Amino acid sequence: MSKEILSSLRKALRDYDGDQCIVLANEAIEKGVDPLMAIGALTEEIQKIGEGFNQGELFLPDLIGAGSAMQAAMKVLTSELKKRGVTRESLGVVVIGTVFGDMHTIGKDMVATLLTAEGFSVHDLGIDVKADKFINAVKELAPDILAMSTLLTTTAKEQNVVIDALNKEKLRGKVKVMVGGGAIDQTFATHIGADGYASSAPEAVVLAKSLLGK
Amino acid sequence: MAMKGFVRKFKPLELLNEEQFQSIHRATLDVLQNVGIRVEHERALKLLEKNDCEVDYNSMRVKFPPGLVEECLRRCPSSFRVKARDSKNDLIIGGNTIYFGPAPGKQTVNIDTWEPREATRKEAYDGLTVLDALPNVHFLPSYTPYFGFEGLSQVMRIPEICAAKIRNSSKWFFEGYSNDCEIFVIQMAQALGIDIMCSVLASPPLTHYREAIECAFRLAEAGMPARVLAGAVSGATAPATIAGATVTTNAEIIAGIVILQLIRPGMRIEVKDFTYPQNMRTGAPAFANIAVSLHGALFSQIWRRYGIPTGMTTAYPNSKMPDFQCGYEKAIIALIAALSGVNLQLVQGAIHGELTHHPIQSIIDDDLVGMIGRFLEGVEVNDETLALDLITEVGPIPGEFLSKGHTRKWWQKEQFIPQVADIWTYPEWMKRGKKGCVENAKEKMESILATHKPTPLKESQEQDIEKILQDARHFYKEKGML
Repeated sequence: MSKEILSSLRKALRDYDGDQCIVLANEAIEKGVDPLMAIGALTEEIQKIGEGFNQGELFLPDLIGAGSAMQAAMKVLTSELKKRGVTRESLGVVVIGTVFGDMHTIGKDMVATLLTAEGFSVHDLGIDVKADKFINAVKELAPDILAMSTLLTTTAKEQNVVIDALNKEKLRGKVKVMVGGGAIDQTFATHIGADGYASSAPEAVVLAKSLLGK
Repeated sequence: MAMKGFVRKFKPLELLNEEQFQSIHRATLDVLQNVGIRVEHERALKLLEKNDCEVDYNSMRVKFPPGLVEECLRRCPSSFRVKARDSKNDLIIGGNTIYFGPAPGKQTVNIDTWEPREATRKEAYDGLTVLDALPNVHFLPSYTPYFGFEGLSQVMRIPEICAAKIRNSSKWFFEGYSNDCEIFVIQMAQALGIDIMCSVLASPPLTHYREAIECAFRLAEAGMPARVLAGAVSGATAPATIAGATVTTNAEIIAGIVILQLIRPGMRIEVKDFTYPQNMRTGAPAFANIAVSLHGALFSQIWRRYGIPTGMTTAYPNSKMPDFQCGYEKAIIALIAALSGVNLQLVQGAIHGELTHHPIQSIIDDDLVGMIGRFLEGVEVNDETLALDLITEVGPIPGEFLSKGHTRKWWQKEQFIPQVADIWTYPEWMKRGKKGCVENAKEKMESILATHKPTPLKESQEQDIEKILQDARHFYKEKGML
């Protein structure tokens, strides 16, 4: 039975069907499937999609569709893990978002999906994220990495605002900060005191692993 | 079932207005009636004389009455099916459908030095395997991929290349003629139960020589389709003016059609323009000169009006390697041909006129053809593509379309995704070794050759083909030509 549900869950992810992912994740829990097994199955599937994207065989709509479906299932599954007091092993915890004033989601979604595919536990705060929301997430989730995206030159400075706030709250030493987005480059990242910069989603995965020595 | 090809969903280019069309048509009839065409074939002369043509047996010149000409044009089917070894590869030639095929070359080319050299048998077979695998190669023309390969005598080139095409591809193909070789080409087609279309090529100006007309009789009597071609060089064997060259080449083609339709009324015929202006610096045909496209567009418009399927001048580049010039020359010629409403067009693989062909170039050109094909299919407008419900749902920022099922369903239908063109971002391109389309195509060629297996012949079919090749060798030995 659990094999069938997991296989349906994998298929729903391959179909990028977020609604069906939620239904099947709930069904899996009701029928006694270990949420960690369900997360494992979904991670395997999204790894294949990430690999297909890196090879040029799959495309942005696939990556974003799968990422969004995965996120939908993960909400159900991680909330169940939390209820049971179970923590799951991952390469590391990442909090990610597009900074305040910037509505661009695609680049950030690509990075979030590829990090998830690689085995990171990713908490996506969405777009237009204010500094205090990043700070609260760092306090609450104690991530290994805080990742920020910005596509606009006018909002690039917001990454600096968040780093300043981390310093002020004495959290800076507890979290690695990586930044990216079309508006910035390595020089800017160094200038604001980020730990790393990546110019593409696949590079961001390499960077995240290297920041954590993996 | 048949090969899909590309269907043009909008009106073709029309360079001629009605008055200009009528002027060219009248001038063509005038040449046929008053200047006449030299037909170097006694049996054809008798047939033409019997059908009210004025024949001078000394000069072999035939004058064609307009009524007969127009009657024979009407007898040609406006579209017809040709049978391939695998019925899913049959073509239905005519209407708004365009099929693309490779542009052959006399030799292969060294991809390090770009110097031409004779292909080996393996290279010819490999070249065909690549063409069999390419999605936008819909058929294989004569002399493909090379005019021959190492070790072949002149007379065995066409029969051996014909056998090579049969052995390495299940796509439909057509073939040339020379030294009676069409006897064996037709036999191979009959052994496989397929249609073979051979060329009936005029010799400009205003002449059909014996071999071509002999081929016409053999095709007609075997019930096979024919490809009637005019291959003039404007300024040398046709007038330098595009209108004038259109008159002489059309008169030559029409003379061929009249002969074929008198032998076998209703015979399937495709007409092909192979006319180039002369390169007045070198005397060679001026491949990829824009006059080629002007001539071709006129040709396509006129023959569409006559209701006979067309092929247009091959997209041969002047460039000696797959470079910027090669790309733009091929793209412009092929695109104009497609927009002009041609039915068969040769594009993939040729480098430097018809001197060389290479599978790497075929693979690059297959992307070019895919782009053109997608354009021809136009834009679908209906409730789903207008996407009004989706636009309403998404609204302004922060709405987006990328995560929507509608995007996943439609984007690949709306775009064309090239197989080997470099479409990476700069950082990704750097990371992936700074590869351009030539390097990507080389990798693709290696991958096709490692994995693609064309549908093999049955053992009995292979035996039939080999026996026909043996018969051909025997035939030419007897004639002292081998």
